[in-house]
Amino acid sequence: MKEAKVLLIIPAYNEEENILKAYETIENYNKKNKSRYDVIVINDGSTDKTSKICHENNIPIIDLVHNLGIGGAVQTGYKYAYYHDYDIAVQFDGDGQHDIRYVEKIITPILKKQADLVIGSRFVEKIDTFQTTFARRTGIKIVSCFMKFATKKKIYDTTSGFRACSKELIYDFSLSYPSEYPEPITTAEVLRKKYKVSEVAVEMKEREGGKSSIHTWKNAYYMANVCLALLAVKIRRYKRCPKV
Amino acid sequence: MSKSLILTLILVSLFLLVLTTIVLKKGRIPEKYALLWYAMALVILLVALIPNVFTWLSILLGFKVMSNLMIGIFIGLLLILVMALTIIISGQKKKTTLLIQEISILKSEMETIKKEIRK
Repeated sequence: MKEAKVLLIIPAYNEEENILKAYETIENYNKKNKSRYDVIVINDGSTDKTSKICHENNIPIIDLVHNLGIGGAVQTGYKYAYYHDYDIAVQFDGDGQHDIRYVEKIITPILKKQADLVIGSRFVEKIDTFQTTFARRTGIKIVSCFMKFATKKKIYDTTSGFRACSKELIYDFSLSYPSEYPEPITTAEVLRKKYKVSEVAVEMKEREGGKSSIHTWKNAYYMANVCLALLAVKIRRYKRCPKV
Repeated sequence: MSKSLILTLILVSLFLLVLTTIVLKKGRIPEKYALLWYAMALVILLVALIPNVFTWLSILLGFKVMSNLMIGIFIGLLLILVMALTIIISGQKKKTTLLIQEISILKSEMETIKKEIRK
């Protein structure tokens, strides 16, 4: 079997402090482990030097001509993956939260055809070193309950942005992807379409710089939106996209 | 219904009719949205021309005063209009997102090709 083509999609919004370091970490890892993980940075209309840094260092980048938000940015990555015929696409944060050493772990179930979507989860085996706040953990639990109600499957870490998906899902995501709160919603939709989803334990590090896109005061609003979206997923009808 | 109210309603309806026609003539809105506004004007005109039906309707629906029924109808129409606008805007947003994504990918691919040619 020929080696699977793997693409790391790195959405970036004002990540000038992290992006180069993240890219170098991936390149070093590739050299050391003889792996071939390609990278595409999606610059979602950053107002800092993110784009300049990428161009100067020959980091593959797509500069969105207008800010789209996280969903639209990541979807651009999936479209790129589809046009370039990648077998696996991994969503990877450029802010140092995600650890490149776990990429192999989350793509393995897809390579073995045991899953279509693999979520890198902070909670599944409790190897977590990244302590989140109480409010945030509670929020994640509530979303998890709604997820269970909508899809009949327990997903522990619904908001994890560290995910890998198969070729079929790359195509699916390239056609439709929610613009806001994409992680829990797509997970639910994928389950409703009867794809296989699995969670593997990963460690996440504290953010090394920059600012997170989720603010505490926005959390209640976030929760209400996600829960409503999950209920909507429950009452909608879903069909799989035709095979690629 | 008093004669002055009927006159007011007819004037409002005519105003809406003329306004829509002007906007349509200038090509600022497509015909299908103009139709919506003509329908609004027509409803107002109907209220003015056959007030008896509405008096009867307000009793049937439990409105104490006929004017309340009219306000209710207008609010209802406006709600439908706002819902229609929300749907239209959402569709527009999808399209712009698609355009931004495809153009951005295209630009990036172009740059890559340019770089390779320069080599």
